[in-house]
Amino acid sequence: MSTRRSRLELIFDILLAIQNKGGRIKPTHLMYKSNLSHKLLNAYLEELLERELVRVDEETSKKKLKSTKTVVITEKGLSFLAEFRRMREFTDAFGL
Amino acid sequence: MFRLFYTPDWFNGLDLVFDTVSLFIALLIAAYSWRLYRIHQENKYGYFSFAFILIGLAFAAKMVMAGLLYYAPLRNAATAVLIPVVGKAATGINYSQLFFRTGFFVSMVTMLGAWLLLFFVSQKKEGRLKRYYEVSQIALFVYLLLLISIVSNFKYQVFYLTSSVILGMTVLNYYKNFLNTDRNRNAWRVMLAFLLFLFANFAFIFVFIFPGLYVLGEIFMVAGFLVLLKTYAQIQQGKMKLFASQNPKKRDPVRDSVRDRVDSVNRKPVKHKVPFPKPRKMVAN
Repeated sequence: MSTRRSRLELIFDILLAIQNKGGRIKPTHLMYKSNLSHKLLNAYLEELLERELVRVDEETSKKKLKSTKTVVITEKGLSFLAEFRRMREFTDAFGL
Repeated sequence: MFRLFYTPDWFNGLDLVFDTVSLFIALLIAAYSWRLYRIHQENKYGYFSFAFILIGLAFAAKMVMAGLLYYAPLRNAATAVLIPVVGKAATGINYSQLFFRTGFFVSMVTMLGAWLLLFFVSQKKEGRLKRYYEVSQIALFVYLLLLISIVSNFKYQVFYLTSSVILGMTVLNYYKNFLNTDRNRNAWRVMLAFLLFLFANFAFIFVFIFPGLYVLGEIFMVAGFLVLLKTYAQIQQGKMKLFASQNPKKRDPVRDSVRDRVDSVNRKPVKHKVPFPKPRKMVAN
């Protein structure tokens, strides 16, 4: 059984899901990929937006004639991912 | 003049250089793990950082004592500072033995404390100290460390023997960690570093038989810290190499939990060979 994810791990999951989708993702897809509820995802997204780790772009689709939101990872978000990977490698190596 | 044990004269001073290198590497790792502690707010990172700070303190105390013993100008300067306080004796100053013994005691107690802390941190969660018993157990270990350090001032082998036992158990923990992390190269390096520390302490035990072993011990010690530095550098460069013999299918569920979860979400849904049966139509009587 896997352990409960920490706050940082959740943020990592969200950012990784965006990165795996080529840097931009729709909010509903992000919700599924990061295994979070709508309420929790919104709470975390707000925090990520505040910290400028992601930004939200609005695109207007011609076919459906309505605007859709996409979550885009920023440079700061990418560097956070790299730093988190390094931290995880350090903790793995030292068995922490 | 008080001496814990006799070392080869030609090596006097060189060991200080080795210890300086080890000191800086220990402080580097302590600084990084302190950063992890600030970010994650988990005690284990704090303990880990504290352990490496203690190692740094141990080296600093050892270097001061060894420096005073090796170099007369340094000794004279220390004497000039201490004479007004403790008074002059027929040979040197009063309480000079006590001064040296205190220095070596600080070095030993901090080093032993660090090894013990690293041993506890390297254990898996189930094996760690539980909160209700934590205070009493830590108090007991502190008492034992103090006792060992005092005894070691008269019989220095006790210190290195105890260090070797603790390091031996730590190496075992790191070997388990190496297997648990799917033979991660960095985990292997950490295990190797602690194995070198173990060899170093083992060599120090027998310095009374052959002083040359002190040189070997110092080389092992600095080599261990250099391996730790290499690990740190590799991690900072973001290189995560695995051994070629590793089975790619076999993965650690805890370590790769995040990666696995993302992979499993990304995976395409499996198509069933037999389609789900259609629901039967209700037939009205």
